[in-house]
Amino acid sequence: MSHLLEVKNLDVKFDTDEGRITAVENISLSVDQGEVLGIVGESGSGKSVTAKSIMQLNPGNTSYNEDAQIILDNENVLKFTSKQDLKKIRGGKVSMIFQEPMASFAPAIKIGAQMVEQLLIHKNINKDEAKSISINMLKRVGIADAEKRFNQYAFELSGGMRQRAMIAMALSTMPKLLLADEPTTALDVTIQAQVINLIKDIIKEYQMGVIFITHDLGVIAQVADHVAVMYLGSVVEKGPVNEILKNPKHPYTKGLLEALPDINNLDEPLRPIPGNIPSPLDRPTGCVFRTRCPHPCDNCREGKTEMGLIEVEPGHWVDQCCINCG
Amino acid sequence: MRENLISVNNVSVNFDYQENFISKKQKIHAVNNINIKIKKGSFFGLVGESGSGKTTLGRAILGANKISSGNVIFHDDERDYDLTNINKQDLKEYRKKAQLIFQDPYAALSPRMTVRDIIAEPLEVMRITNSRQETDDRVRDIASKCRLNLEHLRRFPHAFSGGQRQRISIARALVSNPKFIVADESVAALDVSIQADILNLLKQLQNELNLTYLFISHDLSVVAHVCDIVAVMYLGHIVEMAPSRKLFKNPKHSYTKALLSSIPSIDPENKSRAIELKGEIPSALNPPSGCVFRTRCPNPCDNCRNGNTEMGLIEVESGHWVDQCCVNCN
Repeated sequence: MSHLLEVKNLDVKFDTDEGRITAVENISLSVDQGEVLGIVGESGSGKSVTAKSIMQLNPGNTSYNEDAQIILDNENVLKFTSKQDLKKIRGGKVSMIFQEPMASFAPAIKIGAQMVEQLLIHKNINKDEAKSISINMLKRVGIADAEKRFNQYAFELSGGMRQRAMIAMALSTMPKLLLADEPTTALDVTIQAQVINLIKDIIKEYQMGVIFITHDLGVIAQVADHVAVMYLGSVVEKGPVNEILKNPKHPYTKGLLEALPDINNLDEPLRPIPGNIPSPLDRPTGCVFRTRCPHPCDNCREGKTEMGLIEVEPGHWVDQCCINCG
Repeated sequence: MRENLISVNNVSVNFDYQENFISKKQKIHAVNNINIKIKKGSFFGLVGESGSGKTTLGRAILGANKISSGNVIFHDDERDYDLTNINKQDLKEYRKKAQLIFQDPYAALSPRMTVRDIIAEPLEVMRITNSRQETDDRVRDIASKCRLNLEHLRRFPHAFSGGQRQRISIARALVSNPKFIVADESVAALDVSIQADILNLLKQLQNELNLTYLFISHDLSVVAHVCDIVAVMYLGHIVEMAPSRKLFKNPKHSYTKALLSSIPSIDPENKSRAIELKGEIPSALNPPSGCVFRTRCPNPCDNCRNGNTEMGLIEVESGHWVDQCCVNCN
C-alpha cells in the first residue's frame, strides 16, 4: 500500500543577504493514514520548514532541489503552481495547527466567520451548512456554548479555548493530513493534557495522518507512533516511538533524553548537550553533529564522513556516521 | 546569624481595573494573603498555571509592585528592609541586593549595546564602581563565572544563541553582587539541552556566591530537580507548600495531584491518562467564594461546592503545608 504522504530526498535552501542557507538537507519521511509521526529537535533544526514545505508555505526566497518529491495522495505537491492546485493542499487535503493560536486567528473577524469562510472555499456547500458544520465541530472539541463562541472574537477566548477552536477549524474541512506545529507548547500543563487527549481521540475517530512537531519528548512519547529526530536540517534517527525512546542509538537522541529532567528520578544530575547548535550559515561539513558529538572518530572530526540513514533494526534508522564512529 | 532572608507576611496585591471610563471600578485579586519564609541559601520554587499570580508575587517581593496589604521584610546581615514603607534611599540599597532574571533572553537585552555595556549598566546606574577599570574588572569577573567567553564582550547580543544570551542576563543580574535573585521562568524559552546547562549554572553560582533564589516556573519537572522547597499557587493563593521531595512523592492537594499527573510521561507504554481538570483557571476579577479551586476540583465536598469553606494553610506533616479545604474535603 502506498503511504498517505511520502517525502523523498527533500532539500530546502533559503537565499539571504548573507548567502544561501541550507535549512533542510536530504530528508525522507512517510506518514500513513491514522498514524502520528512526531518530529523532535531543537529550535533551528528545520522541523517547521519541513512541515511548511508540504503546504508550500515557505517564503519566496526558498528553493527546493530538482529531484525532491513530496507525494501526497499520488501527486507531487512540489510541482503544484496554479492557485487551483495549491488550494487543494492549503486547507483542503492538508490542515495546519500553529503554536500561537492568538496570532493565527484574525483579531477583527469573528471566529465563526473565519471558520465558515474556509469551509466555503474548500467544500461545495452553502453558508447555513457551513455554519452548522462549524458549530458541531466546536462542540466536538469540547467548547461549551458553541453557538455563543461562534459569534465571538479570538481575544474573548482563553488560551486553551483558542487552541481548541483552532483545532476545530483545521478539522472542519476533513483534511487527510494534519500538520501540528508545537500545538501545546504555549499552553499550561493541565490544558496541554486536555488538548493532547482531544487530538488523540480525533485522530482515532477520523483516521487522518498527523505530523506532530514538538521539542517536548514527553508529549512525543504520549502522542506519536513514529518519531524522527532532527538536528540542523537532517534526520539523524527515526523509528517507532518505543524503540527510539527506550533504545536510542544516536548520541544526539541520547543527549536529548539525558538533558530532560525526569520527575521520577530526582537524584540523576541534569546533563546538558555540550556546545551550541551551529549557525546554519556555517553548517559543519560531513556529519552535522560532529561539533557536539561526545566521541567523534578521527574521520568524523575532520568532516570526511558522509551522512545517510541505515537500518540497524527493523524500522529503526540511524545516521551511519554514528554507527561507524561509536 | 538569622535563618530567613525574606519573610512575606499576609501579602495581598490588588490591581484596579476599569473596563471603560463609565463602568464600575473593580479589583483584580492577583495575590491573596500569602505567607512564606525564604531561608538563606535556599532554592525556593513557585509553580502554577499562567494567571496564578506567581510573577506578581515575585515582583512584589522585589518592590516592583505595590503591596496592597501585609508586608515583605528582607533580612540583611545588619538590618531589615521593610518593603511596604521603604524610603528612596533604602530602596536603592535594596535594589543592589535583590535582582531579577527575565524569561525571554531575546527581549531582555538591548540590541544596541555591547555585552560589556549590558553587564556594566547596573554598576554604572547604581554607582557601585568608581572607575572604568574597576567596572571592567567586575564585568570580566562575573562574565567568566557565568562561563561567557571574555573575547565576546565587545559583540552585540544578536551574535549569540538563546543559551548564551540567558548567561548574559544572568551575569547582568549578578554583577551588583546581590544576595537574592528572582528567576522568573528563566529557562522556559530555552531548548531542553540548553535548559539543563542554565539550571546547572544557576546551581553552581548559588554555591559560589551564596545566593538565595526564588525560582518561578510552570514546569514541574524542572522545579522538582532544582528547588529545595516548592509552593504551588492557584488563583493568587498558595494551596500547598513542602520540601520538594515530599511534595512530589506525596502530593496532598487535588490541584497538585492533577498538575503532576498532567506531565506527559516519557515512557510511551505508560498511557495513563492525566487527571483532567475541567475548564480553565477562573478570572481573578471574580474569584470563586470560599475555596478558589472548588470550580475545578474533581471531588469537592458539599460545603466546599457551596463556597462555605475558608482557605488557609495547615501543617499536615512537619514542613508540609496544605490548604485546609482540601484536607477537610477528602
